Amino acid sequence: MSRLYLYGITRPRDVPERIRSQGISLVVDEGRAAVVSELGEGPIEATRRNLLAHADIVEQLHEETVVLPARFGYVLENREDALELLALPEIESLLERHERTCELTLRGTYEESVLAEIGAGLKSLRDAYAVAPSVDAGIALGEAVGEALHDRRARDASLVLDAVGPLVLEFVTGEPAGELAAFDLALLVERDRVEAIETRLEELAGRLSPPLHFKLVGPLPPYSFVRLALPVVA
Amino acid sequence: MQRESSQGYITRAPRSSGLADVLEILLDRGLVIDAYVRVSLVGIELLTVDLRVVIASVDTYLRFAEAVNRLDLRAVDDSKSVPDLINKGGEEMAETKTKGAVEGGMDAIREKIGLGGRGDDDEDDEENSGSRSRGGSNDR
Repeated sequence: MSRLYLYGITRPRDVPERIRSQGISLVVDEGRAAVVSELGEGPIEATRRNLLAHADIVEQLHEETVVLPARFGYVLENREDALELLALPEIESLLERHERTCELTLRGTYEESVLAEIGAGLKSLRDAYAVAPSVDAGIALGEAVGEALHDRRARDASLVLDAVGPLVLEFVTGEPAGELAAFDLALLVERDRVEAIETRLEELAGRLSPPLHFKLVGPLPPYSFVRLALPVVA
Repeated sequence: MQRESSQGYITRAPRSSGLADVLEILLDRGLVIDAYVRVSLVGIELLTVDLRVVIASVDTYLRFAEAVNRLDLRAVDDSKSVPDLINKGGEEMAETKTKGAVEGGMDAIREKIGLGGRGDDDEDDEENSGSRSRGGSNDR
């Protein structure tokens, strides 16, 4: 019996035919199903192709129904393992919780002009560096810029959360990646509120841009909101 | 797949469109079921290298300093349209706070990049105040 690669968990009645025709099969336990494909021996390669395929399957499912997307790389040894997983009460409650939800990821990035704004508030350090551009003066200035940028990030992230908070069920704050990254948020929202959120963000972006630019991705499966509180198994 | 919103302030994508989005989401998030399955992956290390940039490095600070120095600050200084960041109270606070942190961290940084020892501190202060007034007169 071959091992099963796990994409996620869903409601079997809503799985469209086109998914089944992509080499995907379901292990069904009453109203719950593990979305899997058969896998040979050996490790799973985290290649671009495999990652995108995984995302594609769960995102296609999400267009039709609720799906709890698995993190990349999970393998079930056999059908029994899959059934055991599906029988967990936590799985049923997560499926119920996410019946009508979706995730939006919102990233903020600054244009370089934010540095000019920040620099305007750091006149003495800037002057010191302009007159004698030593390493020390550079670090002192750069560090002050970094700190001001840090405060600016916190401020802008909370402006965003204030604006969309009332429309959001839950949110997760990620670590912004990159020097000019402002924030990285995952928002859990009702599917029918996506448009309302987009409108609010549009208004806010109008006020904060430039230098802040938003990137909004979704509606996605609730990737960031499917934490299982599992008992520790010996 | 990706588009700009009507006013162009938001880049909008209905699905995780690029590898970077997907990487972050699939490797970092999603259902975790360690108690029930065995996992063995290859290749992740390669993919995740450089995914995150460490902000608090000397390198970054010097680049920030360069950028701030290079950008046309005069225009911003005089502008009335630049929002709250320049408003007085905040600026003073930020500068005082920053100064403490900068001086506190200096020795550690000097050590790190192999610059001279403690004796430099006093000279630095003199240099700073000197250049501050020179800088000030330049602006007028």
